[in-house]
Amino acid sequence: MGFYKVHSATILGLKVEFVQVEADAGNGLPMFHMVGYLSSEVKEAAERVRTAMRNAGYTMPAKKIVINLSPACVRKKGSVFDLPIAVAVLGAMGSFPEKAVEDILLAGELGLDGKLQPAEGILPIVLEAKRAGFRCCVIPKSNEDEGRLAQGIQIFGAETLEEVCRWLKGEYMLQMEKPDKEEAHGMEEWDIDYSDIQGQEAVKRATMVAVAGGHNLLYVGPPGSGKTMLAKRIPTILPPLDREESLEITGIYSTAGLLKRENPLIWQRPFREVHHTVTRAALIGGGRIPSPGEATLAHGGVLFLDELAEFPRGVLEVLRQPLEEKCIHLARQQGAYIFPADFMLVAATNPCPCGMAPGPQCTCTPGQIRNYQGKLSQPFLDRIDICMEAPKVEYEELTGKGTGMDSRGMREKVMLARMRQMERFQEEKLTKNAQMGQNEIEKYCRLGKEEERMMRQAYEVMNLTVRSYHKVLKVARTIADLEEKEEIDLATLREALGYRVMDKEYWG
Amino acid sequence: MSEMWYTYWLACVEGITGDRKCELCRKNGSAEAVYYIEEKGIREQIITEKEWGILKESKKKRNWREAYQKAADRGIQMAVRGQKNYPKRLEELAGMPYALFFIGKMPQEGIPSVAVVGARRCSSYGEKMTLRFVERLAESGIQIISGMALGIDGMAHRAALNVGGKTFAVLGGGADVCYPAAHKGLYKDLIKRGGILSEQPPGTPPVAWHFPARNRLISGLADVVLVMEAKEKSGSLITADMALEQGRDIYALPGMVTEPLSCGCNRLIRQGAGILLNEEDLLEELVIKGLLKKKNAIISDTKNKIKLETKENLVYSKLGLYPRGLDDLQRETGLTPQEVMGICVSLQLKGYIQERSKNYYVRVK
Repeated sequence: MGFYKVHSATILGLKVEFVQVEADAGNGLPMFHMVGYLSSEVKEAAERVRTAMRNAGYTMPAKKIVINLSPACVRKKGSVFDLPIAVAVLGAMGSFPEKAVEDILLAGELGLDGKLQPAEGILPIVLEAKRAGFRCCVIPKSNEDEGRLAQGIQIFGAETLEEVCRWLKGEYMLQMEKPDKEEAHGMEEWDIDYSDIQGQEAVKRATMVAVAGGHNLLYVGPPGSGKTMLAKRIPTILPPLDREESLEITGIYSTAGLLKRENPLIWQRPFREVHHTVTRAALIGGGRIPSPGEATLAHGGVLFLDELAEFPRGVLEVLRQPLEEKCIHLARQQGAYIFPADFMLVAATNPCPCGMAPGPQCTCTPGQIRNYQGKLSQPFLDRIDICMEAPKVEYEELTGKGTGMDSRGMREKVMLARMRQMERFQEEKLTKNAQMGQNEIEKYCRLGKEEERMMRQAYEVMNLTVRSYHKVLKVARTIADLEEKEEIDLATLREALGYRVMDKEYWG
Repeated sequence: MSEMWYTYWLACVEGITGDRKCELCRKNGSAEAVYYIEEKGIREQIITEKEWGILKESKKKRNWREAYQKAADRGIQMAVRGQKNYPKRLEELAGMPYALFFIGKMPQEGIPSVAVVGARRCSSYGEKMTLRFVERLAESGIQIISGMALGIDGMAHRAALNVGGKTFAVLGGGADVCYPAAHKGLYKDLIKRGGILSEQPPGTPPVAWHFPARNRLISGLADVVLVMEAKEKSGSLITADMALEQGRDIYALPGMVTEPLSCGCNRLIRQGAGILLNEEDLLEELVIKGLLKKKNAIISDTKNKIKLETKENLVYSKLGLYPRGLDDLQRETGLTPQEVMGICVSLQLKGYIQERSKNYYVRVK
């Protein structure tokens, strides 16, 4: 009888914090007291644990039981503390040998019947435990597949509290786990493909260029021109995830509670479509202890903003930081949280309220068109390198056979272009053309005499700004990489000029 | 001119037609006399009871002597029916206003004037053609009358100003109210190089029901009316109707039959309006009609000779004055998307085409 200590962990933002659950059963008025800066779901654990223990066949001694979750300054959130609390109480009653849980981490929610319920954020906890040198993790059976993704640490997927206790007592040997499941890696399969889209070769090409250089992309086109379809297929041509990235993304989704129970590993790059009614908090994450928002869920993949003109300005402004820094800083009273947010931004907009401009079917007045385009935030447009029209699909194209580029061919080209970029930027801190600053542009986007002359002409005829001039050069570099050309030539430049984002006053 | 403010007052009275105002003036001798008609005038059948009421009410509305002074200080002038500066062309017609307010100048007599009307939301085909026709007309010394609206109207004024011609706008609101506000620059230029006319009292906001009435002045002030682009139901066709009633010649610009913006024009042509095929034709017809002296008509035969590469020519030939998308061009030429885009960009750099909306191009040469 006395004191017992169990290891567990909680998640703050996306960071795992280890928590020690201490239990002390001493003399005094019988009571069950919990301390340690607990959120209400953790406070409620007291009732769950007591009932679950009784139903699992253990009687609560008439002792004064104090539970402490340390460190005391860290806010404890989530339902993973039920199991460690129960084990700590039983340990304090002397049920287990003292050293039984020394290098073991426990996490799991208890039902009243003593069964373990699935919990959120298991993968990041297990990964962190592995890093910290724990021998074994005890987690709910239904999270077992997820936990095993960490590889290199023993996982015990327990079904009931009783099972855990018997194991700790040594009455039950943990079956040596089946060898880590062979993952479906490298066998990436998609049920969507760019060959589903008929015609539209020019937009597909623009999309491929954007992906190859990591450029942000804007589609302009009438309703029903397949802007969403085009955007949805971008992950199919992004380079496949490697295991590390895959685990990082799976970790984020685990924390957000968005994982599938079977085959939890995320091997497809995420595609997050955001509606224009989204709030700032939902976009970049929010809460007193922030949970990740759409920008973080799109990490490593695509964030798609449909109807860009309908988004309130303030909401778009918050995306500026992740677009520049590839991560999100959220400052809270208890400290700052950093969420990863390295996504490719894809936006779509109609050219006018009815969507048909500049065609003759358009019923909008010039004023309406001006207003509509005026709603696009200029600082936001400045962060978009490629703008392309998604034309209305003609009937022949609709019924025609799938032609042109498919995802596989496009991805191969993208991968080659990415490799060329990696080689080029070996000594720099960049990996993609889109990240080039002014110095790098001068260094890597040298123009010949002819090209120089054309750019000067373009600068005047097309009213380019300094910013758009640089964007054209970056895109030209990417096109040259795609075409496996060392130098930017006239054809490349022309194509890049065709992709430029038009100034607002020249629209419509 | 101490009694001008009486005229100003009478011109500003609403609810009595221009013709009736003139009649009152003629019967009583002057606007001043109309101002002082007493109630017994009703019994003497000089004036109806209703009219007398309207006049009485309007007298109370404000200090007209001051109002006139203010308007005059701002450069607003008046042309009263029967007086020298009132346009002869209107004098001959019925239903014309008692007086016109104007800033700048009035259209000159003895010089041919052509009204140009068309849709506000016009296509670039309409714009281009307006530019072409009006520039040539203005170069030949013809005055251009239009309504300063967005689209064709604005283009017509601009084109005339471009070549240093004379052009006049008839507004639906007061002559001192610039509408649409986007044409502020044009408004100022028009005052300098032509004039702004209106039958509405100064300061009147432009309200929708003033515009059809305004259109009768546009056609009335002109010898010939050109309709550049009009939908099946549009203000431009109202102008055309008025022009017919006033006995003016109408010319319409033909367009594709599938194009809503050309429907009104094509219909006019079917109904017997003149057809605008090219500037030379139009000028020659004006000469034949005796409106224009032969020596003034600038008839040239220089055509732009275009030198382009084969592929560029192929793409260029598919482009017209209506915007066409990249996708269409690619399908019709059979070139690859990036080729088409490259060609469009280089044509753009050479100044042959323009990008009207993202990846939509039109010819400019």
